[in-house]
Amino acid sequence: MTELASSVKWVWAASVLLQLALFALLFLRSNVRKLPVLTLYVATNLGQAACILYLISSPHLSPRTYDLVPWVSEAITLLFQALAASEAIHLLLRPYRGIWGLTWRALALVSAILLAFIAQHTAGNYHWALLEADRGYHLIFASAIMACFLLVRYYNVLVPAPFKLLLAGFCFFSCATILVNTIFQDLLYSKVPDYEPIWQFASVLSFALVQVVWLAALREPLPADQRPLIAADDLYEELTPEIDARLRILNKKLAKLWKLEVRS
Amino acid sequence: MTVSFLLFSGIALLLLLLLIVLLREPGKKPRLESDQSSIEESGYRHVIFFAQVRRALTPDDYAFLAKRGSAQLAQRVRKERRRIALLYLSCLRREFSRLWKLARVIAAMSSRVGAAREIARFRLGVAFYLRYEVIRLKFILGLGPVPDLGAVSELVSNLAIRLETAMSDLGERAALASELSSTFDGGGLHTR
Repeated sequence: MTELASSVKWVWAASVLLQLALFALLFLRSNVRKLPVLTLYVATNLGQAACILYLISSPHLSPRTYDLVPWVSEAITLLFQALAASEAIHLLLRPYRGIWGLTWRALALVSAILLAFIAQHTAGNYHWALLEADRGYHLIFASAIMACFLLVRYYNVLVPAPFKLLLAGFCFFSCATILVNTIFQDLLYSKVPDYEPIWQFASVLSFALVQVVWLAALREPLPADQRPLIAADDLYEELTPEIDARLRILNKKLAKLWKLEVRS
Repeated sequence: MTVSFLLFSGIALLLLLLLIVLLREPGKKPRLESDQSSIEESGYRHVIFFAQVRRALTPDDYAFLAKRGSAQLAQRVRKERRRIALLYLSCLRREFSRLWKLARVIAAMSSRVGAAREIARFRLGVAFYLRYEVIRLKFILGLGPVPDLGAVSELVSNLAIRLETAMSDLGERAALASELSSTFDGGGLHTR
């Protein structure tokens, strides 16, 4: 395994320290009970860091090990990342059961569409298969978080700041990874001979920044229940069809003006 | 630069931009918008008198004015009609956004939300606002003809009264739930 550049080492060390602080904070503020999967995700990140440290300090391992271990550990952390984000979204939308039902269906749909797009886009590109898979995952992940943000905004759901920061951190990290991977693959790889430290530095720095955001999000215990549950099933069944009918009438009124415009 | 580079970096930047926009606090509207809303509010109240206004602006009256009055007067009336058409549009929009928002609030409170119904309403909303902006722009620029105004009095209906009742019902339930929750949280009772 190649030696890390000193700038990368410093950022990486800072990132590991931030992860340790986050891990400790999750226990100190008793957020571990509410966010157990996020805690596991932070633990897997630390485990991945330990793996990489072991690889760097063991120069006599087989090349296959150097190739395999980072990517396998990456796949595991990405799995926990998706689970941790789902946990946060579920916790946020738990009082809104109907919206939660709608959200997970929307997320599944967005993910399926993007998966098909990525599969079609990367078909036959075996040279970049792992990097493409990583980028594709982050694209799906960031889009799913964004879809969730949009739904929450559309339904005027109040999002407490810690949840907002947590989800924003996930989204930012995925967007940054897409950008870094794209720049690396399409620009740096062919044009810059010493591309690897730049790629590593950018990747680790974006992750370290996210740790700072999460530390800010979890510096206090998470709020108890987001909002008292109010059952409005009867109103939904009775009133929304009438509201929809009224909306259609208003739309028709506007359409009449529109037709007048077209005729003139 | 490849297509892949432009596509993926474009998507990532777009997502980041959207993230920044969505993270901004909603509801803190600038003064100008609140002024606009108060204008619209007054427009909404005028809805009640719209039938009379409409009668006063029938094409017959307009033709009469053009024939018997001066060109200046005809111009003034035309301007006035355009202003009223804009007010009418504003009333439509206000009523639409009120109902649209209320439907979303009710959906958020409900445990069973119909996806098809929600998607249909969302599409309706998008179509309405797009159409509204195009027509409004045309009226402002004076590109469109002054329309024959429909009966706006229809907007004030029984449904409006029922919606008000529903809103106060929701408010009461929210207050009750909040009271219950604070009671169970140990408001005066040692529950732990």
